[in-house]
Amino acid sequence: MTKKRRFSFRGMDSLIASVVSTLAGLLFGFILLLIFNPAKAGNGFLNILLTGVRSTPRLAKVLYTAAPLMMTGLSVGFAFKTGLFNIGASGQFTMGAFLALTGAISWQLSWPMCLLLGILGGAVWGAIPGICKALFNVNEVITSIMFNWIGLFTVNVLTYNNPVMLASAWGDVSKERTAALAKANLDAILPKLGMDKLMKFNGMNIAIFITVIVAVIIWFILQKTTFGYELKACGFNRNASQYAGINPRRAIIQSMVIAGALAGLGGGLYYLSGTVQLTLGKELSAMGFNGIPVAMLAASHPIGTIFSALFISYIQVGGDAMQPEFAREMIDIIIAAIIYLSAFSLLMRELLGHAKKRRQQVLETVEAPEDKPNANGGESA
Amino acid sequence: MIILADILNATVLFAVPLILVALGGMFSERSGIINIALEGIMIVGALVSCLFLSAVDKSGFGPANPQLSMLLAILIASVSGMVYSALLAFASINLKANQTIGGVALNMLAPAFAIVLTWAIQGQGNTTIFIPTWTRISAESIGVTDISTFLPRFLFKSFYLTTPAALLLLLASILVLYRTRLGLRLRSCGEHPQAADSVGINVYKMRYIGVLISGFLGGIGGLAFTLAAGSGFQSQVAGYGFLALAVMIFGNWKPLNIFLASLLFAFFKILGSYSSSIPFLPQFKGIASSEYIYMMLPYVVTMIVLILSSKKSRAPKAEGIPYDKGMR
Amino acid sequence: MDDFVIEMLGITKDFPGVRANDDVNLQLRRGEIHALLGENGAGKSTLMSVLFGLYQPDRGRILMNGKEVRINSPNDANALKIGMVHQHFKLVEVFTVLENIILGAETTRLGLLRKDEARKRVMALSENYGLKVDPDARIEDISVGMQQRVEILKMLYRDNEILIFDEPTAVLTPQEIDELMGIMRSFAREGKSILFITHKLNEIMAVADRCTVLRKGRLMGTVNIGDTDTHKLSRLMVGREISFTVDKKNLEPGETVLKVKGVTVPSKLHKKNAVKDVSFSVRRGEIVCLAGIEGNGQTEFVSALTGLEKISGGQVTLKGRDISQATVRGRSVAGMSHIPEDRHKHGLILDFTLQDNLVLQRYWEGAFQNRGVIRGNEVRAYAEKLIAQYDVRAGEGPDTFTRSMSGGNQQKAIVAREMDLGRDLLVAVQPTRGLDVGAIEYIHSQIVRARDEMRAVLLVSLELEEVMNVSDRILVMYEGEIVGEFRPHEVSVQELGLYMAGAKRMEREGVRA
Repeated sequence: MTKKRRFSFRGMDSLIASVVSTLAGLLFGFILLLIFNPAKAGNGFLNILLTGVRSTPRLAKVLYTAAPLMMTGLSVGFAFKTGLFNIGASGQFTMGAFLALTGAISWQLSWPMCLLLGILGGAVWGAIPGICKALFNVNEVITSIMFNWIGLFTVNVLTYNNPVMLASAWGDVSKERTAALAKANLDAILPKLGMDKLMKFNGMNIAIFITVIVAVIIWFILQKTTFGYELKACGFNRNASQYAGINPRRAIIQSMVIAGALAGLGGGLYYLSGTVQLTLGKELSAMGFNGIPVAMLAASHPIGTIFSALFISYIQVGGDAMQPEFAREMIDIIIAAIIYLSAFSLLMRELLGHAKKRRQQVLETVEAPEDKPNANGGESA
Repeated sequence: MIILADILNATVLFAVPLILVALGGMFSERSGIINIALEGIMIVGALVSCLFLSAVDKSGFGPANPQLSMLLAILIASVSGMVYSALLAFASINLKANQTIGGVALNMLAPAFAIVLTWAIQGQGNTTIFIPTWTRISAESIGVTDISTFLPRFLFKSFYLTTPAALLLLLASILVLYRTRLGLRLRSCGEHPQAADSVGINVYKMRYIGVLISGFLGGIGGLAFTLAAGSGFQSQVAGYGFLALAVMIFGNWKPLNIFLASLLFAFFKILGSYSSSIPFLPQFKGIASSEYIYMMLPYVVTMIVLILSSKKSRAPKAEGIPYDKGMR
Repeated sequence: MDDFVIEMLGITKDFPGVRANDDVNLQLRRGEIHALLGENGAGKSTLMSVLFGLYQPDRGRILMNGKEVRINSPNDANALKIGMVHQHFKLVEVFTVLENIILGAETTRLGLLRKDEARKRVMALSENYGLKVDPDARIEDISVGMQQRVEILKMLYRDNEILIFDEPTAVLTPQEIDELMGIMRSFAREGKSILFITHKLNEIMAVADRCTVLRKGRLMGTVNIGDTDTHKLSRLMVGREISFTVDKKNLEPGETVLKVKGVTVPSKLHKKNAVKDVSFSVRRGEIVCLAGIEGNGQTEFVSALTGLEKISGGQVTLKGRDISQATVRGRSVAGMSHIPEDRHKHGLILDFTLQDNLVLQRYWEGAFQNRGVIRGNEVRAYAEKLIAQYDVRAGEGPDTFTRSMSGGNQQKAIVAREMDLGRDLLVAVQPTRGLDVGAIEYIHSQIVRARDEMRAVLLVSLELEEVMNVSDRILVMYEGEIVGEFRPHEVSVQELGLYMAGAKRMEREGVRA
C-alpha cells in the first residue's frame, strides 16, 4: 500500500517537472515564431497546438508516427534504467526495418513473422554494443554510434545485392528504395481493421496498440519482476549488483538486447504499415535519434513514454502544417528546448525532494544522512 | 604517386575537423564534463562562420582580402562555438543536470536552429550556404604554378587556413595541458575535484574553461568540416561530432594520440573514394554498390582498435559527475 | 594574556536535518599540539572544515592573532597559512607526488610550470623533516604511509603555520604513529601550531598539550592533558565509560567451516600478486581476525574469497566443498555471508528502498518471487521484521531510500541482512568503519552473537583495538602474505605493529590447520 504511494509521489514530481518544462518550451517556441515572422506567428502556433485534433486523418497520423517513436523511446529508456546510454537506436531501428522488409518482400512472409524478424534484427544490433561493453569495457556510446553507421551501410549493401527487394523490381522506377508492400506482399502489411477507412488515413493500423501493450509489459518487467530488479540494481550500482550475485556483464548484454529488440520492433512496425518505403542513402534514421528526447521527456518511465511519444508526434504533425511560413524544424527546436529546460525542472524537483526529506529527517532522527559516494567514514556531514 | 598525394591531401583535409573537435572534447572531459554536444557545437560554429563568409563574399570584402576573411571566419566560428557551449556548461555545472541530457538537447537544437535561420535569411527551402571559392589557398597564390608533382599536389590540392590553424592549436593544446598551471589544474578537476577544491582551485571555473575550450575548438572544427565536405553548409556535420568523441576515446584523452587517431580514421574514410583507382585494393566486382563496404571501413577499424586498446583506456576519473561544493 | 593564534568563537553550523556544530569555541595557542576529541559524528571534521574554509559557519567568528578573519575558501585559509591533512587524502591518483604538492601553489615562468625549482624545494623539505618521498612516483603506486607524507609536505610547501591533522593515525602502524608524533612534536618546537583530530584517547595522552572535546556537535570542554586521564576524557566524549572489552563467553571451537589453502590473487595495480599463498582455516564458534595496514592485500583477498574476483592459485573450501570456482551466489548459497568493506560501493544500492536492499541476497528465493514476479507483500513483511528485530531507524520504514539514511543505520541494515541469511560463515570487513560508539558496540555484539551461535566469523579490521577485543585468533597480513598468527591475550599491540609493518615474521607451518 505504502509502496504504491511512494511511486506515485516520485512519479508526480517527474510529471510536474515534465509538464512545466513542456509549457516553458512551447512558450519559447512561440517567442521564436514571433521573432521570425510576427504576422504569422499566432497562426503558426495554433497549428502546432491544434492540427493534431483538427481532423481525423491528422489524428491518425499522430498515432501512426507515435508508434515507432514509442518503441525507440522505450529502447533508449530501457537501456537508461540499466545505466546505459543507447544512442544506437537508429541503427537498431534500421536493422529491424531491414529484416522485417526482407521477410516481407524477399521471403514473402506474413506480418507477424516479419515483426519477429524485425525484433531479431534490432536485438542482434543491440547485442553488439552490449557485448563490447560487457567483455571489453568499450564505451557503449561509441560502439552504438559506430554501429549506427555500420548498420546503415550493411543494410544498403545487402539490399542492393538482393535486387528483388528494390522498388524497381516491382514495376516502380526508383532504385533507391525498397519495394512498396502493396505491390510486393499484401500479407505483410499490418492489419488496419478498417481504421484506415474510418479515419481516412492509409497508414492507420494496429501498430499503436501493439506499442502501448509493449510499453505496459516493459513497465511490468522493470517494476515487478526479479529480472527487472536485477537490471535496475546493475544500472544503479554495478559493484553492489555483483556483490548480490548478479552477473553485471550478463545484465548489460540482456539490457542492450532488449533495447535493440524494442527499436527493431519499431522499425518493423513503421515499415510494415505499407505507407513508407525504406530509402537507401547515407543518412541515419531520424526516428532512432528521436527516441532519445522521447525517453528523456518521460524520465525513462515506460508508461510516461507512451505520452511523451504521443506528444512529440502530435507537435510534429502540427509542425508539418506550419510550412511553408515556418520550417518544420521549429518543432525540433521546441523539443530541444523542452529537454534542456527539463534540466532546470530536475533541479526544482531536487529542491522539492530535499525540502521534503529535510522535514522528515528533523522529525525522525537527528543523525546525518550519509549519501556521499565516497564518504565511507568520518563525520563529514 | 599523384594518387597517393591526392589521398594524403584528402586525409589531412578530413582529419583537421576531427583533430580540432576531439581536442575540444578532451579539454572538456579532462575538466570533468562529458561533452556529447560537440556535434551541435560544430554546427553552430559552421553556421555562423559560413553566414559570415557568404556576407563578405557579397560585399566584396572577401574576394579582396581572402585569407584575412578566413581568419575572421575562424575567429567567429570559435566564438560562436564558445557561446553555444556555455549553454552546456551552465546546465551541467551550475544546474548539475545530467550531462548527457543537456548534450542531447543541444545536438537537437543546433541543426534545427540552423535550418530555421537559413530559411529566414535565404528564403524558403534554400538551406545550403555555399562556400566562396576564394577561401581556398591555391598554389598559384603563393607562386607555385606546377602542381603536378607530389609535394605541391599533397599540400595544395585542397588547402585552407584551417589546416595550419589546427596544427598550431594542436601544439598549443599539448603545451597548455601538460606544461601550464591551467592544464595541471584542469586535469585535477577531471580526476579528483575534491582534491582540487581543497587546495583552493575553483572547480566550477576550471570546468567552465574546459567546456568553453571545447566550444572554441569545436566551432572551428565545424567550419573545417564544412570546407572539407565541399558542398557548402547544409545544417549538418554528418555525425562528425560523435566521431570526434570516438577519436578522443580511441586517442585515450591525450593530444598526440588524438592527432594520430584522427589521421588514421580520416585515411580509412578517404580510402573508399579512391578504391577503384588503387590496383591492389579488392574491388568486390561481384557485389553491387560495393562503395558502401568501403564507407564502413573507418567505423569497423575504429571498433577493432577500441576493442584491442580497451585494457589501456583510462577515462578521467570524475568525468560525468556533477561537482557539488556542499558535498565534500 | 594567552597567545592564541586561532580562536573560533560560537561556531554554529547546520546541515539539512542536523546541527553539526552548536555554539562551539576552540582556542589554539601558538606552538601547542591541541587535540580535538569526539566520536564519529560529533562534529570535529565539520569544525575543522569551517576553519579550513570548506564550509561557512551559520553563526560565530574566527579570530587570528586577535583579529577577526573571514575564511571563505581553502584559498583564504592558505593565505592565512592554515593547512590540513584530510582523513581521506585529497590526492590526484594519476599525478606524481611533485605535481600533487605544487597543485594550487604552482610557480610559473612565461606561463609554463617551473617544476625543477619546486622539486628542489620539496626535496629540501623532505630531507629536513625526514619525510621520505619519491617526487616522480605516481600517487596510485605508493603506499598509504607515503601518501600521508605527501599531504604533510603539501602543507610545508605552502609554509603553513597552523597544521590540521584529521584522524592521521587511522592508516598507520603503531611504529609509524610514533614516528608521526615525533614529527608533530618537531613542528610544535618550531612554533607551528597543531590541531590533531582523533577519537583515540591514548594518542592524545601521548602527544597533545591540551584537548577540546565535542559530543553531538556541542562543546564539552577544553582540558589540559596534564590534569586528566583517559577515563575522564572518555566520559567527556561519550558521556559514560566506554567498555573497551567485548563480553564473550568461553567457547570451544567446533568443526572447520572455511579452509583456505595457498590462495594467490593477482593485483590490478601492478604485475605482482596482491595475495600470495595464503592458507588458514576458520572453525565454528570462532572469530578469526585478519589484521594489517590498509592496502596489504586484504581487500583483494576478500574479493577472491567471496567470488568477486578470480584466484590465480590455491583452493577455498567451505564446509568441505571446494568453492574456488563458484560464483558469488554459489558461495552465498553454500554458506557464506559478507558484510563488505565499502557499504556504498558494494553493500547497498543507495537508490533502492530499504526493503529492496534487505532482500538483495535473497530476492530470487521462492519466498520472495513466483515465476520471476516479485512478491511485494512478502518482501515488505520481511523488511518490517528485520527493521524491528535489528532496530534499523529509517524515516519511511521499508520505503525509505537508503541514500537518505545515516551511516550507522545503513550499516545496521547490511548487518541485519547478512546475519539473517543464517549462513555458517560470516565475512565482515571493517564493519564498524566510521560509526559512533553506540553503533560500534551494537555491531560487535552481533558479530559475537554469530560466534556464540557456533557460526564461523572472519573479521577483517584495520583498527587494532577492535582486533584485540573481538577476535579469538589474529592473523597478520603484510604485502599479501600471512606473516603472523596470535591469540589476542598472548600478544601486545606493539608486537602486532612490528608484524604489520613487515619488520617481523613468523614461520607458521606448524599452526596451519
